[in-house]
Amino acid sequence: MAPNSHTRPLLQLCLAWLAFLPFGISQADDFPKKSISVVVPFNAGGGSDIFTRIFQKAIRENQLCPQPLVVDNQGGAGGTIGSRLTKDATPDGYTIMCLHDGIYTAQHYGNADWGPDDFEPIAATGSSGVIIAVTEDSPYESLSDLMEDAKTRPYELVFGTNLGAPNHYSALFVQNGKPGAKFRFTQTGGGSSRLNQLKGGHIDLTGFSVAEYVQFKEAGIRALAVLSEERESALPELPTALEQGVEATHSLMQFWWAPKGTPQERVDYFANLLKETMETPYVKERLQQLHIDPIFLVGDELKNRVKERGARLNEITIETPPPLPPLHWIILGLVIVFAIWVWRDEKKKSAA
Amino acid sequence: MIEIFTSPVVLGLIILGTALGITVGAIPGLTGTMLIALSLPLTYSMDPVHALVLLVSMYIGAVSGGLISATLLRMPGTPAAIMTTLDGYPMAQAGKPGRALGLGVGASLVGGLISWLALLLLAEPMADWSTLLGPFEYFALVVLAQALLAGVGDSTRAKGLLAGALGILAAMPGTHPATGELRWTFGFTSMNSGFQLIPVLIGLFAIGKILTDIGTEEKKIEQSSGHDSSFIPLKEWLPHWRNLLRSSGIGTVIGVLPGVGANIGSLAAYAASKRASKEPEKYGHGSEEGIIASEAANNATVGGALIPLIALGMPGSVITAVLLGALILHGLQPGPLLFRQNPEAVHAIIGTMLIGNIVMFLLMLIGAKWIAKLSAVPRKILSPLVFISCLWGSYALSGRWFDVFVMLGFGIAGWLMERLKLPLAPFVIGFVLAPVAEENLCAGLMASGGSYLPLFTRPVSLVFIVLAGFLLARKETKRKKPQDLVS
Repeated sequence: MAPNSHTRPLLQLCLAWLAFLPFGISQADDFPKKSISVVVPFNAGGGSDIFTRIFQKAIRENQLCPQPLVVDNQGGAGGTIGSRLTKDATPDGYTIMCLHDGIYTAQHYGNADWGPDDFEPIAATGSSGVIIAVTEDSPYESLSDLMEDAKTRPYELVFGTNLGAPNHYSALFVQNGKPGAKFRFTQTGGGSSRLNQLKGGHIDLTGFSVAEYVQFKEAGIRALAVLSEERESALPELPTALEQGVEATHSLMQFWWAPKGTPQERVDYFANLLKETMETPYVKERLQQLHIDPIFLVGDELKNRVKERGARLNEITIETPPPLPPLHWIILGLVIVFAIWVWRDEKKKSAA
Repeated sequence: MIEIFTSPVVLGLIILGTALGITVGAIPGLTGTMLIALSLPLTYSMDPVHALVLLVSMYIGAVSGGLISATLLRMPGTPAAIMTTLDGYPMAQAGKPGRALGLGVGASLVGGLISWLALLLLAEPMADWSTLLGPFEYFALVVLAQALLAGVGDSTRAKGLLAGALGILAAMPGTHPATGELRWTFGFTSMNSGFQLIPVLIGLFAIGKILTDIGTEEKKIEQSSGHDSSFIPLKEWLPHWRNLLRSSGIGTVIGVLPGVGANIGSLAAYAASKRASKEPEKYGHGSEEGIIASEAANNATVGGALIPLIALGMPGSVITAVLLGALILHGLQPGPLLFRQNPEAVHAIIGTMLIGNIVMFLLMLIGAKWIAKLSAVPRKILSPLVFISCLWGSYALSGRWFDVFVMLGFGIAGWLMERLKLPLAPFVIGFVLAPVAEENLCAGLMASGGSYLPLFTRPVSLVFIVLAGFLLARKETKRKKPQDLVS
């Protein structure tokens, strides 16, 4: 009896383990069966793209996922092209998206009639400070100078933003931080286009994430302020907006989403995958290099954070941009005009 | 840069790409645009550097290969070789096919190398300069590109403008590039991202061509015979140095111009060379100068067209419009940042331009007569193969049947355009550049508070607009047909 009492629990455990084993394997084999498309709703070279590719690389090099993750850049329209694509994708876990706060700014701005509620949040994997920058040869040495000027000459300074995206909201928080100050906001696209436009003098100032700023600063730009609550450890010289008398704080949080209706176990699969990936030395090192605070949120904590960040936007009111030409109708008109021209040419030719 | 090209894989890809390009260029039923558009889905999973090396090699090969069938069979394998037919074939008929090929291949090499030099020296300064271009300038540049195509293309102005406008119209359905609003999707979610470049191109160029071919009689092949050497000693090249330089220069400059490709380049260089010649009466009857002018220029357009592609993201020809699609597919954004962030991609393109031309030279010298046999493959074998690749290519892009239907639809459109003699180049360039133009116009309007005035008050933008206006308002002269140049 004595040996039995020892071995029986062990045997039971083994049997139980064996019983679960095939199930466990079949589930692991079941998903993912093919490559996973990770939609990045911005152009290549911008902050979001670089961020996502860090995770992609870590997953590939550590063989954390049996199938490759393929980054699908779907830039344009403040991230809504990509987020719509993801929202409408088959919710089978083979399409996921990495998109920051833009998911609710686009909804608030009216660029999208969908928002966080139309997705299954997977995880939040980092948060980055926002920096307000001008070119090296700009007359503004501090954010307070600049805001003073924006108050005395409202609607003169052009603030390059990605309309409806978080960096537009960073800009709006800055504008709200100094009563009376007004900017003219333009659509300038992702991080790399904003840099080009700033360098070329087509915009007066713009916002970058710390990651973008670190990457671009050698190109000849100057940071005026960071919108974090406290100074960034990486840039101890750079004062916050609060220190300069501008009541503005904002940051950029990175989220991963699956289309609504994606099975919970597949959402969990990615949550675990991302958790493992966050712990790889490569991701830790790269996030540190990019000065991204390596927060990691899943589950209820994540859902609450998304709600809370969305609610902050209620402080903001949007002024309507100038009317844009209905180019599609103009082109249709031109097609008809040219077609008549061609037709008359042909008639003249056949007459002659 | 050298590290990339010591890899055997990269060298293998250059040889493969160039050889495929030459073959496709030599076969009258196939074009370089078709080859590159169909290969693009294949390069999807490749390393971006490898993909670029392969595609650029194909471009070089395709522009060069046409001269083989032009010279030996009197059929230009590509439109780029039409001018070569005029002198290459008479020379081959006179019993010197080897010499005709040798001249063409040598001139192609010189043209390629000179435009490579231009690419090497000008691409980066032009990219740096491009930061001066703001939203209004980009919009004006697209307007200029369309005006240029309508003004100097090889069809009437009205047809050029109509084709361009149709191309822009085809880019309108989907998501508004600046505001993200949906338009003209007719309730189909597949339409949300509009028509994709690859199915549109494959349809226009491959399916359209097959449909056009069905209705026409296959030309009888006139093979010339002769067994002279293709090797031409250096001292026989010396008298031609002025012609080589001029034609390569013209080719490079025309290559840089948006949307105007190799056929116009060789036409312009041929005309200029004839004007400057001491023996203009020989042109069209086997003139060595004629072959050299045409071939140096059409290869030179390749390097020229790559300059605005990598510096500004502006395609200088139809093939570079496809390459722009390839860059974006691989997550590479052309412009000044490309040189900083992805120097390897820039090096791959520039290095391939050099090595690809040398490989082209060797392959053509060794294999020209053998490749000529291939170009006699009948259409009834070619067309089904092309058709199957088209179906596969457009489906493989993102696994959507929608893209296959788009491809077939644009195939019919391409066939209709061919029947109505509407040029395809303005259509493609319009299609590719429409979102660029619209996003920039809207950005400019937001910055100016809704005023269009900066289009005319900003100097660079004003220059572009005035040039465009000049091109369109200029009295339309009768187009020079290749035949007119030799009669």
